[in-house]
Amino acid sequence: MKLKQGNYLLAGIGLLTVVLLYLVFWVVPPAQGLGNYVRIAFFHIPVAWVSVLAFLMSAGWGAGYLRRRDMRFDALSAASARFGLIFVVLATVSGAVFSKLTWGAYWNWDPRQTTIFVLLLIYGAYLTLRAVMPEPTRRARVSAVYALFSFLTVPFLVFIIPRLFFSLHPSPVINGSGSVAMEPVMLATLLVGLLDATLIYAWLVRKSVSGRDKEVLA
Amino acid sequence: MQQSSWQGIKLVFRKELVVGLRFKAAWAAMLMFSLTTLACVSMALQGGTLEPRLLAALLWVILFFASLAGADRVFADEDTAGTLLALRIYGPSQAVLMGKMLYTFFLMVALAAFITPLFVLLLDVTVTAPGLLTVALLLGCGGIAAAGTLIAALTTGASVHGGLFSILMLPVILPVFLPAISLSAAAFGGGDSAGSYLVGMGLYDLILAVGASLLFDYLWYED
Repeated sequence: MKLKQGNYLLAGIGLLTVVLLYLVFWVVPPAQGLGNYVRIAFFHIPVAWVSVLAFLMSAGWGAGYLRRRDMRFDALSAASARFGLIFVVLATVSGAVFSKLTWGAYWNWDPRQTTIFVLLLIYGAYLTLRAVMPEPTRRARVSAVYALFSFLTVPFLVFIIPRLFFSLHPSPVINGSGSVAMEPVMLATLLVGLLDATLIYAWLVRKSVSGRDKEVLA
Repeated sequence: MQQSSWQGIKLVFRKELVVGLRFKAAWAAMLMFSLTTLACVSMALQGGTLEPRLLAALLWVILFFASLAGADRVFADEDTAGTLLALRIYGPSQAVLMGKMLYTFFLMVALAAFITPLFVLLLDVTVTAPGLLTVALLLGCGGIAAAGTLIAALTTGASVHGGLFSILMLPVILPVFLPAISLSAAAFGGGDSAGSYLVGMGLYDLILAVGASLLFDYLWYED
């Protein structure tokens, strides 16, 4: 039954990805000022979103482990961080390429680049900590505590860093005034991209944890 | 705070201070690391002048990495000596955490008081706002102490220690590190600095201390 659900999810993700590729390359018009480079954004924004989501989920499952002492939460937290690291690398690389094409430099410590880089460091630190803790129960406990402790940087990354440094990065889709500053077709494509990336992340975490459960049962 | 809690914090602090001064390893490692790094930088510059922002960044890089040579030992030394279990049995968790945090803060302030005048002297730095520099140093030391104490507790029991503390510390301490560099640059005559940075640093120090306090019990009490 579980396998069937997983297959349906995989088929849905495949279909959504095809729809997304069609929208990005055939439907979305070149943007004013950015031209065809805007198409990178429909890859970059969803992977950046999942990078942050995976971090939140990892901390959330870490908190779940500390409350219930159930190793399944630890496995979920670890899987979320592992895939979060992949997504954050993709977001960093795609952002750097977009930056080079539009502003002439791969990296200039723009506030959003700083934020994503700090996230990359946190994922790296979390996974290093797990790698050097030989005892499973202690590993689960310390990594949950670190995930939650590093979560304290979030208000700083979101509210303080953008005020510390000048940014060339476009405003978020939903900006400070709460209005949506995007053409409807682009917004729809972006929403499909966000959904697709979120489902890919959910499928990867689910697959990883169910695989681990099978190993334990065997 | 209750009288007994404060008493416990004072006892842990005093124990750390006595043990630290008796064995001197953490103090020697920290102070010598900072001195060696500063000497390297000063020799490499050969009397050349640097921009205030670059000077501030250098000062904080020296302080941060020197602090790692001392602050990471607050729990590891107890683990090696076999006294961690005794402390776990007799010491209330919050008194242990706060006592060690206070000691790390003291260690950091001593480090800053040692290296900053030498830094100013050897690199020929003009300090235009000494008060601002002092407050930035105190708040920076507070942040390193708050985060460092919890992370030192996290790394106890790790199979590999080399570099682990700095890997875990850097992302968490960046919110203190970056404003501290901006404030120190302003104190070295490198433009104005917003007072909001000070408030931000103070708040983040507080958040780190409260976060460490809330999470420490999960580390201290075994299943």
